[in-house]
Amino acid sequence: MTQLTQGYPLSSLVKEDGEALSFKVHRSAYRSQEVFQEEISKIWGHTWLYLGHETEIPKAGDFKTRTLGGRPLIFCRDSSGEIQVFLNSCTHRGTVLCRHSEGNTKFFQCFYHAWVFSNSGDLSALPGDDAYVDVPEFREAMRLRSVPRVQSHEGFVFIAFDPDVPDLMTHLGKAAHYMSLTARIGPAGMETVPGVQLYSVKGNWKLAVENAMDGYHFAPTHNTFVGYLRETGFAVTDDDQYAYDLGGGHGLLILTGHNGRIGMVWEPRFGEAEKDRTVAKRQEMEDRLGPELAKEIADASRILFVFPNLLLFDLEALTIRQIDPVAADQTSVRAWQFVEVDEPAEVRALRIKTMVSFVGPGGLATPDDIEAYEAVQRGIEATANAADPGFDWSDMSRGMANEQKGNQGRSIDEGAMRSFWRHWAGVVGRD
Amino acid sequence: MDGKKSKESAVGGRTITRHEVEDFLYREASLLDEWRLDEWFTLFEEGGRMEVATTDWKGWDSASAGSFMCDDYDLIKARVKRLKSRKAHAENPHSRTHRMISNVIILEQGDKTVWVSANFIIHRYRDGGAYSYVGRYEHVLLVEDEGLRFRLRRSIPAMEAMDAGARLSFIL
Ligand code: FES
Ligand SMILES: [Fe+2]
Repeated sequence: MTQLTQGYPLSSLVKEDGEALSFKVHRSAYRSQEVFQEEISKIWGHTWLYLGHETEIPKAGDFKTRTLGGRPLIFCRDSSGEIQVFLNSCTHRGTVLCRHSEGNTKFFQCFYHAWVFSNSGDLSALPGDDAYVDVPEFREAMRLRSVPRVQSHEGFVFIAFDPDVPDLMTHLGKAAHYMSLTARIGPAGMETVPGVQLYSVKGNWKLAVENAMDGYHFAPTHNTFVGYLRETGFAVTDDDQYAYDLGGGHGLLILTGHNGRIGMVWEPRFGEAEKDRTVAKRQEMEDRLGPELAKEIADASRILFVFPNLLLFDLEALTIRQIDPVAADQTSVRAWQFVEVDEPAEVRALRIKTMVSFVGPGGLATPDDIEAYEAVQRGIEATANAADPGFDWSDMSRGMANEQKGNQGRSIDEGAMRSFWRHWAGVVGRD
Repeated sequence: MDGKKSKESAVGGRTITRHEVEDFLYREASLLDEWRLDEWFTLFEEGGRMEVATTDWKGWDSASAGSFMCDDYDLIKARVKRLKSRKAHAENPHSRTHRMISNVIILEQGDKTVWVSANFIIHRYRDGGAYSYVGRYEHVLLVEDEGLRFRLRRSIPAMEAMDAGARLSFIL
């Protein structure tokens, strides 16, 4: 059993006491390099991870490179239109093969010794191949290394570095449905647009997850944003805001009365033209999807967390956010605006303006979230190796009594965090 | 060839010099560094806009691609109000910023406007951290008798990404 420096075995970093209605997480879970390494191996090495959306690489030959769980990857569409995900590492001596962040190509050529790979992974040329024995077999053995598992759901592409993970749909479980709701908003589908927010935060990746699943912080942390909404004529309430444990570490907040939704729930700052379009859009959705589904999609905002690294903010508009752990105290984030294919230009503009005004490191709200979890990361140093070891725990017991009574958890409680941590303890705490 | 493309341009009956543009940008920089945000806001014409492009920017229009900021006039006003509040936690206490502006170029003239570009380096300090933001401005300025005002204020970061801690809670 792995022992941590502070004397807590990994398996006891999460302490739940049903009788005392107490739920605590040991703060070394956010600080410790050992915990971080365990997560990289047990979570990032053995679970489905969100890589990107198919619409990021729409045309044959399109590629993006990105790092996930510390591994450089090439996410590309080969010449026959298939999605491919390769380790971005030359099979010869390991050089990063593609050093561009995006582009379109039929071939990737390693600059070091000039080996050339096709965009479907074949080693198509190597200088001086007469010096290798059994050249066809050698070439076959030196194909680009594909990531062991690649599957997608509604255009969301997931990968796993472990070939033995259960199927993607099994992993997604109930979360799959909420991804589908989002994907059905546009009659011609949904797509990512260019203009990706790339940023990092000085905080543990789990703090980013907690923050997204934490309705309790909304009013105090986003006081200025709530004030802005009020001034634009939209009253924000805490009513009818619930948290759901979707199993598998996935979580969901369903929020009504939270804010407007472009094309679905009108609010004054969207403007008069959008008011009429909202009525028409609702009709379009009912005709296409039936009234039940249209209602489910349109009437509430949702924040979906798919364990361990995808957040789908289905709010005024949509943002896909991917989190990627860099170190125990540092996380990289990539965020895409997710929009309806073929929507009118003025709706696209409204959607982007509205979402960007709220989310992202330059928005009116996200910077305060980042401030919050960066402040947690700094603050929890205070209790490390404290004279009283009892100080070194964070409390997540809000709403436990209600949970025990079997009531649906409120988003302003900490139930969604507890379900995340219970799952985390099951994965990371296992020796 | 009178060299007006790079140095000055005649607009609305008067000549805009690089010197005048530089004075405008330097004054803006000091208002921002001193957190005189109400005065800063008066540098925008009514209906003016502000954009901060993402680090992968390839000339996209902020109406069709994501960005870090794409504020219309009302949002700039809301942003100023927010940043002045004690409840703007990301900027309470304020970041210390120090702006350097150079390579000012008058790109083009319109009937009532002048297009300018300039380079910036902004050093920001907060919570024991030091962050540098490097990039280019591409502004559209309205030329009035009394001076210049922003029609569009656009920042284009040169960095590959916003580094850890380098969130854009202040005005870039
Ligand atoms: S390392 Fe790539 S060709 Fe040698
Ligand atoms: Fe928040």
